[in-house]
Amino acid sequence: MTHSDSPARVPDSGATYVFAVCRDTRAVNSADLTGLSGMPGGGRVRLIASGALTAVAQTVPAADFTDEVWQPRLSDRREIERYARAHHEVVSAAAAAGPVVPLPLATLYLDDERVRRVLADEAARFHGALQRVAHHAEWGVKVYRSVAPPERPAPVPERPVAASAPRRGAPAPGAGLAYLNRKRGVHDRRERRREEALGVAESVDAELRELAAASRRLRTHGAALTGEQRVHVLNATYLVAADRADELRRAVGALRERTDAQIELSGPWVPYSFVGEV
Amino acid sequence: MDRDVVAWDSPEPLSGPLGVPLVDLLDRVLATGVVVSGDLVIAIADVPLVRLSLHALLSSVNERVPAPWADGGPL
Repeated sequence: MTHSDSPARVPDSGATYVFAVCRDTRAVNSADLTGLSGMPGGGRVRLIASGALTAVAQTVPAADFTDEVWQPRLSDRREIERYARAHHEVVSAAAAAGPVVPLPLATLYLDDERVRRVLADEAARFHGALQRVAHHAEWGVKVYRSVAPPERPAPVPERPVAASAPRRGAPAPGAGLAYLNRKRGVHDRRERRREEALGVAESVDAELRELAAASRRLRTHGAALTGEQRVHVLNATYLVAADRADELRRAVGALRERTDAQIELSGPWVPYSFVGEV
Repeated sequence: MDRDVVAWDSPEPLSGPLGVPLVDLLDRVLATGVVVSGDLVIAIADVPLVRLSLHALLSSVNERVPAPWADGGPL
């Protein structure tokens, strides 16, 4: 169901897709972007300068970037992967030449002039964000708790049968109470594990925040994605100075040994998650 | 459940240009803080999480509280 593969029927003057914004430096200008294909169907990846900023951009067919085309695309695994990776490839290539402010997937302008105007209008915010992320990288940390083995039937405490004589036709005395106790036991254990898992997540996050210039919690993933054997309890991401990356790796290693949680570290990322709050 | 979706979390088959797991990438390129808004509006930031794949990919019970298990969940 790729809409992008069908040829546009009407002439398409194109829209300007912006991947990232960076400082207009010699390094950026000499960065080799020619080998990048960018968005499917797009033109050459190029730079659009305005003042001290430059946008890494590309002309794309406007017909392929409408909300109607993108809504189904967002739920098509192959399609979203194709576009997300294309975006990431260009953002990462630009980041090799200096700090960049990545823009979200599918940020589009009507033409280059509009891009220049946005760069000028928002210059202060872009410079603020660039300053913030310079010499920093983003690191993702995901914590999983493995799922308990299937619960054995809870031991039911033997209780003396209530003294009162059972009425005829009534269920065996104590059966209802035993059932409730069993249910309560299951519930209590689940609550306890849940609280433990949250505790581990919190302590991992607290410790790593100490090393980070900034941190964010992303949403955790459901069982459809993590599998049934583990529960995702923390999806955090940290902005860490380049010279503290080793410290972060060591801290994650130590946390892995200290807790029985699975801890995944990913990075260094271009600081996608830390450019929005400036 | 859609088994196909589970594979997304596996780093191996996701041999994109930089070998980044897709799920981690989407967490970032979709949910990244918006510095400026574009001219052509594609509703990505507030993707209605109702469709099969993306829902599975990004679903959670609550964004703020890390409690992905529903009542009766695996814990």
